[in-house]
This record gives sequence, structure tokens and C-alpha cells, in this order.
Amino acid sequence: MTASMELHGVAKRYKEVAAVRDVSLAVRKGEILGILGPSGAGKSTLLRIVGLLEPPDSGTVKLDDRAVDARSVEAPMLRRKMGIVLQKPVVLNRSVRNNLAYALRIRGWDEASIYMRVDEELKRLGLGDRSNKNARVLSGGEMQRLCFARSTIHDPDVLLLDEFAANLDPANVSLLEQMIRQFASRGSSKSIVLVTHNLFQAKRMCDRVALMWDGEIIEIAAKHKFFEDPGDERTAAFVRGELVY
Amino acid sequence: MMNLGRKTVAVIVCAVVLIVGTMAYVFLRKDTPVLRLATTTSTYDSGLLDYILPEFENLFECEVDVIAVGSGQAMEMGKRGDVDILLVHSPSAELAFMDGGYGESRTSVMYNNYVLVGPASDPAGIDASANATDAFQRIHNNGTAGLVQFVSRGDNSGTHNKELSIWKSLDLNVSYFDDNWYLSAGQGMGAVLDMCEELDAYTLSDDATYYQRASENLVPNLAITYNLEKTDATLRNQYSVIPVNSTMWPHVDHTLASAFKDWIVSEGGQDLIASYERFGQQLFYPNAPGYVPSTASLGALPDSLVDSARSVPKGLAAIALTTSPGIRCARW
Amino acid sequence: MVGTTGLDLIEVTLLSLYVSGMATILGSAIGIPLGALIGLKEFGGKGAVKTVTYTLYGFPPVLSGLFVYYLFSRAGPFGSLGVLFTPTAMIIAETFLVIPLVTGITITSVVEVDKNIKDTVRAMGASSRQSTLTIMREAWVGLVMACMIGFGRVIAEVGAAYLVGGNIDGKTKVLTTAIMLETRMGHFEWAMALGAVLLFVALAVFFFLRLLQEKELL
Repeated sequence: MTASMELHGVAKRYKEVAAVRDVSLAVRKGEILGILGPSGAGKSTLLRIVGLLEPPDSGTVKLDDRAVDARSVEAPMLRRKMGIVLQKPVVLNRSVRNNLAYALRIRGWDEASIYMRVDEELKRLGLGDRSNKNARVLSGGEMQRLCFARSTIHDPDVLLLDEFAANLDPANVSLLEQMIRQFASRGSSKSIVLVTHNLFQAKRMCDRVALMWDGEIIEIAAKHKFFEDPGDERTAAFVRGELVY
Repeated sequence: MMNLGRKTVAVIVCAVVLIVGTMAYVFLRKDTPVLRLATTTSTYDSGLLDYILPEFENLFECEVDVIAVGSGQAMEMGKRGDVDILLVHSPSAELAFMDGGYGESRTSVMYNNYVLVGPASDPAGIDASANATDAFQRIHNNGTAGLVQFVSRGDNSGTHNKELSIWKSLDLNVSYFDDNWYLSAGQGMGAVLDMCEELDAYTLSDDATYYQRASENLVPNLAITYNLEKTDATLRNQYSVIPVNSTMWPHVDHTLASAFKDWIVSEGGQDLIASYERFGQQLFYPNAPGYVPSTASLGALPDSLVDSARSVPKGLAAIALTTSPGIRCARW
Repeated sequence: MVGTTGLDLIEVTLLSLYVSGMATILGSAIGIPLGALIGLKEFGGKGAVKTVTYTLYGFPPVLSGLFVYYLFSRAGPFGSLGVLFTPTAMIIAETFLVIPLVTGITITSVVEVDKNIKDTVRAMGASSRQSTLTIMREAWVGLVMACMIGFGRVIAEVGAAYLVGGNIDGKTKVLTTAIMLETRMGHFEWAMALGAVLLFVALAVFFFLRLLQEKELL
């Protein structure tokens, strides 16, 4: 399997705190990679580095075998090709329809085709009847669905999700998980990185799982190996639910 | 972005409307020549200029822009070439202005009168004063005795300077005056009169501002306690007209400024000033060199009588008469 | 009769609107981008720049007038333009008073836009220009507020308007200078009536801006 993105020896500090230290990782095409770990392990930072939102202090980020820099002028172009869903769903102060249209406009879509695509997507999301409402009045679940659509409407090859299920009720979580699976099944080259602290979600969704611990990836393995035959003591404890975080 | 496009259009439309407005304004006002006259608030607020200027504007097909400010500010505007002509009343500052070469000529135009205003009951007995100095002496005596109060403009205006000069002639230094009776207001004449009304105090005022306040019944407790007949030469307030030096400031409208000067000191201009009445009073007394009030019959009088009719020093009259009759200006 | 008659009132009111409106538009056209720049870009001495901006809120209007007077006086560097004692000079002086207010409020407004929104917009691949525009759009309510406060300051301002305008009848007499003139002449009732007109005009403009703020018409 080929890798769509790779990290080589990546490290990032925030003032005195080392958020990520020396992480190397490859995200393969067509897989859902889960990144598990307790809060403060550096998962979100790692995702931001992969998503080219922040440059690492050291190490390299490679996209399709090419080193890229989050500060470069091409970074916005590269981000446009990905989809990133951040932990806190935020919407712009405009209609649901225009929120979604914004995602396409930013990505340079032709003005004429934007609204056709948007209306089609809203219908699919079950938000068709609310398309002219201000997005701020949506419920938490609807908002997160809109955010998800915003990150996938342009059919990216790479989708990065940061704790999308935080603050959602179980029904909405399962709805979103279903949407993620649907997205994954759109093509064989879709790579998805799913940051979560929820063991069961990782078990349900992922092909491979990594455990992040104090800024490092201490184990990365196929799902069955990870959960049933962990190679590291800490992984075993984590999987048993013995680690309180 | 479609929305942004609409926004941009709206902003551009607004901007265009406003810019066109400015342009229209600029072009419209180019139609008639404009004379910029800097003057003191007294001539403007009294209504005199509104009364006399339309005739000049018709005669010369021009507009007069009146900028009514303090004497000092008007003079500064002249020095910087921002106005074409001055109509001011600050003799010493005017002399300095002429010495600096900022003015083309300085000609006396008219005077108005100061009056001592105080409580109608006149506790200081100002009414019986022999002259202005005597009146001020009485105020000082009563003031230091704690019987009356005096409000000074305290704003370095012409009126304030006049007041200071009278104290000075009495060898009194206002900076030693007790602020229990001598109040320095730092305000305009109207505001000072309002204060006197409240405090039952005396003040030196130009007659027009007092009459205006009195006619609107704003100062019922006050009355003119001295110089009601306007006979005291000390309490005269002399106005001069000074065209700004057009050699120093080429854009100054020399033709129009000269025309204005000639017009306001001409018989027609002077008669017009004399005919202005407000609050049932004549407020300004024309006294340009060579002018004879038309009530004293028209110029057929012998020289000796003409001289006595003029309210200008004899020396000045002599200068005016020795220069060519057409140019009625004297450089002091 | 000296002073402002009923007919003059329309002219005086329109001129007030024109001068304050133009100053607000120009001041906002400069202040909003400037405020966005200061608020969103990271640079050395940013704190000091902000402090200076907030300090300039208290910039004395007469000083602004004096400054513009010196610039456009015949003896000054731009004297040949003949701008002094015209509405244009008033607009320029008032614009200087609007800029710090609008800049400062813009800084506050764009800084207060949710950091998550800034992040999300970047994550979608917005260029820095696009994300700045989006953040400003999100800060819309604050930006309109900045214009309102700027307008409020200049429509009520008299010192600079009097100094560089000269209160010339029919040319540069605005509501505030007319109020000052009437007050000087003791026509307190008339002055207060003019004050009521001024407040009414401000109310109408604010109402319009409130509409913009809420409906995002513009």
C-alpha cells in the first residue's frame, strides 16, 4: 500500500511543553487511521501538523512523497485539497446554504456550479429545509453535520477529524460515523485520520490504530493486533481501560 | 464573491454620489468671485454685516464669506493669507499687523460703544461718575469694601483689553485684585452678562450685546449704569478695515478687497452703517476719514465744521485730506 | 435677522450630514483596514501601536482642526489648493478624528472573532487575504458599530468644524457651529431646537446603520 502522507521525526513545542516529540508516521491510501491517547498526549497537535495548520519545529511533513511547509504560499492550496473537521464545530454567521457555499468558494469553485452542488449536499444531509436559516441557530448535531459536509463537499482524498464526537449525543455520533464510512467508501484512495480518546469508536471505525503517549507514538498496528495483541505494556493497560485520563 | 460584489457596488455608488457632490459644490462656487472677510463676532452677531453686505454683493456681483472669530484669530488668518480683508477692533494688534507688512492699508470705519452694566439698583453709584476712569475707581472702592462684584471677560478679547487699559490708567494691577469681588470668567460677552445677572455684578460690555440680551428680557436685573448717552470717548471701540497684503499673498483678491475697503468708507457705505438700527438703537457710528454724517447735510459745510463732525483725531483727518481725495485711507 | 432661519436649517442640516458622512466613510475606509491589519497580523510593537491608537480616542478636536488649518493655510504646505474654509477642509479635519476610533474598535472586533473560526477558515484553505475578509465579515456588527461611533463623534464635533470651516453662512455652517453661534447670541431656545435636529439626524443615521448591522444589507 502506498502512503498518502508521511511524517518524519516531527517535533513541536509550545513554550516549555513538548506537545509532540519525534513522531514518524505514514497514512496509507484507503485506510482509516485512528489516533488514540489520553488528553494532552499531543493528538490534536499532531493532526494540526498533518493538516498543514502548523509547521513542526523539526522534522518533515510529506504529501505524496513531497516535503511541504505549512508556512509556504502553497500551503493554502494543499489544505484546500484536504478536509479538516476540528473538535469544536463553528459556523460562519450566515445562512446554512452560504456556509456550505463558502467552503466551495474558498476552494475556487466556479460560482455557477457552487449552489447546485450545495443544494444537493444539503438535501443529502437532511438540512434542505433549513438552508436559508442562519447556521448559528442549528443544534449541535446539525452543526457538526454541516461542518462535516463543509470538509467533504469537494471530495478530498484526505480527511482529518479531531474528536468530532465530543459534545454529541449517541444518535448524532452514530449518524456521523455512518457519514464517515460513506465517505470512505466513495473511493479506494481516501485516507482518513481519526483522532479520538474513545476506544470503542476506534474499534468501530478504524483499520489501523496508533496510541499516542506524552507526545510520542508508542504503538501503531492493525486494529486486531492493537486491541487483541498489543506490543506495549501501556497499550495493553489502555485497551483494558485501566488508564484513567 | 457575489455578496461582496454587491457590497462593493453599493460603496462605490455612495462614494461617487459624495464625490460628485463635492465637485458640484466646487464648480458651483466658482461662478461668482468670493471675498473672504475675517471679522470679530461683534459685527457679525449684531446683525450689521447681514444688513450692509447684500448691497456690496449686488454692487460688485460677488459673494462675501464672513468668518467671525476672535480679533486675534482674525489677525492670524490675515497674516497667513487665508482671508482677503479684515474688519477688526484691536488698535495695538492692528499696528503690529501693519508694521509686519501684512496689511495694505488700515482705515478707520466706525466705532461702537462700551457701557458699564450692573445691577439696576447701582449699589456702587456708578451713575454719578464723571468719566470711565472715575466709574472704575468706584467699582474698585466698593469691590475691595466687599459691597459689589465685577466680572471680567478674562479672555484677552478686545473688550477685556479695553477693561485692562482702564484699570491700568488708574495705576491698578488686576493681578492683585481679590477674587472675592473681581471674577475673571474667560467667557464670551453674552455668557458674562448672564453671570452678572445671576451674581448682581458689574461688567464692561459692548452696548450691542447688552441691548440684545435686554431686548429678549434675559437680564432683567441689569441696567446700563454708565455711558448710557455714549458720550465717553474712552469707551469707544474703533473698527478698522485692512485689506491683506496681496503682494505677499498673490491669491488674495486685491481688486475685490480694495473695492470693499473703498465701498465701506464711501459715503454710501457709511450711511448704510449709520442707518442700521437694532433694539431701537443705532449701534455703529461710522467715522471713516472724510465722512460727514448725512444728517449734518451734504459736504457743503466749511472744513472746520467737517472736522468737528468727524470722530477722528485732527491729525489723522489732516493726513486723509492731504492724500488724494479718491483714496480714503490712512496708514497709522 | 442673524442666525439660522427655517430655510437655512435644511441647508445646514444637509451640510452636517455631508461633512460627517464623508468623514465617516473616509475614516472608515482607512480605519477598518488599518484596524484589521493591526488586529490580525503579528508584528513587533503591536501592543504599543494598540495603546497609541486607544490613546488617540482622546485626540482633541480643536487640535485636529489646528493641524489641518496649518496644512491648508495659504502659508502652509497645501495652501495653494484653496481648501481652507470649505466643507472639504472640515471633512479632512473630521476624518482625522474618525480614524483612531474606527481603527481601535476594528482591532477589538476582529480580535474578538472566535479563534476557532479563524482556524476553521484556514483549515478550509483560505488564503490570508480570504481569511482576513471572512473574519471582517464575521466582525460585521463591530465594524458597523465602529462607523456609528465615528459618525457620532463628528456630527457632534464643533471645535475643528469652526476652525477650518469658519462657520460661513450657506457654505460651511453646520449644525454644531450654528448651535454655538446661537448660544453665543443668547438664543438658547433656538440653540436647543438645533440640538434636537442634530439628535434627530443622528438617530436617523443610526437607525439606518442598525439596519445594516442586523440585516447585513451591505
